[in-house]
Amino acid sequence: MTPLEVGGLLAIGLSAGFLAGLLGIGGGVLLVPAMVLLMGFDQHVAQGTSLVVIIPAALLGSWTNHRNGSLVLRDAAALAAGGILGALVGSLSALGLDDVLLRRLFALLLLVTAARLILSRPAPGPSAGQQVP
Amino acid sequence: MIWLAATGLAAGVLSGLFGVGGGIVMVPAMVLMLGIAQRRAQAASLAAIIPIATVGALVFGGADNLDLAAAAALIAGALIGVRLAGRILPRLSDARLRQIFGALLAAVAIAMFL
Repeated sequence: MTPLEVGGLLAIGLSAGFLAGLLGIGGGVLLVPAMVLLMGFDQHVAQGTSLVVIIPAALLGSWTNHRNGSLVLRDAAALAAGGILGALVGSLSALGLDDVLLRRLFALLLLVTAARLILSRPAPGPSAGQQVP
Repeated sequence: MIWLAATGLAAGVLSGLFGVGGGIVMVPAMVLMLGIAQRRAQAASLAAIIPIATVGALVFGGADNLDLAAAAALIAGALIGVRLAGRILPRLSDARLRQIFGALLAAVAIAMFL
């Protein structure tokens, strides 16, 4: 890697980590497009590398959330129970897909999620509007 | 609980398929469908991402779809970014967080199609 590439990766990592900590996402929505569009990675390598980067970022962010009192471990455990099985299915499927097709599907995923989030309102629920100090 | 597990399952599939954490599915699903507050949803999502991303990373790594040198540089930057966010997060309202989240996704999606 050239110094320029290292600098670029550091900046991408910093932005992704910032979003991960701020928004509770892994940061992959930024890591994968940035590696593909700015650094010329294959979609598959970008995705695998993104997952590796996400693990320590999520660990540190979760530790911060735990100290702030906003982490309900029961919620996370229920999500993870389904998530581990899903991750196995998803990653094995991704290995069988063409690189360009995978990239297009990725873009579609982002558009659909953005549209849903911008157009809908939060459902009223027992914990809606709950303030965590 | 069953709906959280189902949300996790869907997020896990997307995480493995697309190399993301799955938070873009889990956070909106918890907030919009299960009525969980944005901040609590974000915290649960981020913690669930740890085991979910580990599974995907092992599968991609097994198929040689990893760049470990790049990952090291990205991780160094990411840890600084997470620390910065941790300082700013307590000052932002739930409504503001949702707006930032939606705007981010729309911007990235458009860039990927171009």
